[in-house]
Amino acid sequence: MRSIELESVSKYFRDFCAVDDVSFGVDREEIVGFVGPNGAGKSTCLKMLATYLTPTRGKVAVEGLDSVESSLGVRRRIGYLSGDTPLYAQMRVDRLVRFVAEARGLEGGDLRTGIERVVEVCGIEPVMTKRVSACSTGFRQRVGLATALVHDPAVLILDEPTHGFDPIQVLAFRETLEGLKAGRAILFSSHIIQEVSALSDRIVIINEGRILADGPPGELAKEAGRETTEMDEVFAHFVRSQPSESRV
Amino acid sequence: MKSTRETIQGTAVVYRRELAAYFDATIAYVYASAFLGLSCAIYMNSFFLNAKLEMTSFFDSLPFLFIPFVPAITMRLWAEERAQRTFELLLTLPLQPVQIVAGKYLAAMTLFAIVLAGTFPIPTMLLWLGRPDMGLIIAGYVGSLLLGGQFLAFGLFVSGLTRDQIVAFVLAALIGALFVLSGQDKVVEVLDGLVPDWAVGTFLYQSLSVMPHFEAFTDGVVGLGHVAYFGSMIVFFVFMNLVTLRKVGGEFGD
Repeated sequence: MRSIELESVSKYFRDFCAVDDVSFGVDREEIVGFVGPNGAGKSTCLKMLATYLTPTRGKVAVEGLDSVESSLGVRRRIGYLSGDTPLYAQMRVDRLVRFVAEARGLEGGDLRTGIERVVEVCGIEPVMTKRVSACSTGFRQRVGLATALVHDPAVLILDEPTHGFDPIQVLAFRETLEGLKAGRAILFSSHIIQEVSALSDRIVIINEGRILADGPPGELAKEAGRETTEMDEVFAHFVRSQPSESRV
Repeated sequence: MKSTRETIQGTAVVYRRELAAYFDATIAYVYASAFLGLSCAIYMNSFFLNAKLEMTSFFDSLPFLFIPFVPAITMRLWAEERAQRTFELLLTLPLQPVQIVAGKYLAAMTLFAIVLAGTFPIPTMLLWLGRPDMGLIIAGYVGSLLLGGQFLAFGLFVSGLTRDQIVAFVLAALIGALFVLSGQDKVVEVLDGLVPDWAVGTFLYQSLSVMPHFEAFTDGVVGLGHVAYFGSMIVFFVFMNLVTLRKVGGEFGD
């Protein structure tokens, strides 16, 4: 059983096909980068994994649980960071993290230790008593990550986690994510190919709702006839080689 | 048993967040000040004119005051979640929709009850001045709570249909006006006069309006039928909010 599994998944918004027959999986102790241009269907796939959207066709499963039939079970097992980190702007950071932890069923000692752990891992101690709206973009993203991690999930789904980060923050985030790998399956999306190739054990490339490639960065580079230092060109190779078709 | 405990815990978590959000955003203070100032001013004017130890004029004014004031409580409940996209955070937490809706509704009801309790200095003053009919006053407050509960329920439902708080406010105020004005004698007469054979005004008064039910409470009658009317209206609109929640927000709204 894979930690994350999408089998022949399609998602339509009325007549528009956002995701078309997508299949891939993520195993435990694996970091998979999900890469594609804006509008490729990355966020739609991740929202289906987070049970926010339901697939039109196909099966989405987390830890063996179907995302439609056992949506609550799936939500209990995942930590999900949405694209632009929508958080309650007027809430204090400590109250927000506590709210999410309690909503995830933590109480008593588990609640306390869960919060202490994410405060340390995500480095949000300096902003704990500030309102979310008063935090910088980088801290807001870290707070979002803290809410995704507070219940120590087995599966981590991160949509554009470094959005709005400066280069230093990106490096810090890489270290954080590598530290979280043990015992977890991590799927994160980005349209920045260097970031993905630096972090991922495997890369899944999606464009116009379809999976174009799936494999370790080295294998994908080899397939594209490039070096691993030229991952931008590897990515461009796969995207350009896709036959152009309308998704409608 | 574990499931019931978990359901209550999840509802309580949402309830605490929602209640704190009212006070974090200062809306509660503005709302309470405006409502208490206006309702007490209307009552005191009538009190000095009539010099009676009763609260009839206060309770008579409440349905009209609720038209703008209760939607001000509910307009943000869903519209703000959708506008700020926190809807996605909320719906990806391991909470059942019924826990979220119940938590939101109960938080709004608590704020409403706190504000209504802010008018208790009026009966306290009457008790200090003499011996008012406390049964009548208590029945009036029970009716006011139920009336407010109905306004909150359709306000919550309407807020779930839009991401614009102003639209949510206006729609809820219009529905509130329909429920209240359809119980006014002159409105009933005018509507009946439009098509005498259909007696639309009388039909709306008997089947839809809150007024006959609320007036029964202010007359001191806490009848099961009137309680059932408010209860069924509250359950209906809260249920409708549950029905529309997933469809409107998750699939198309964001």
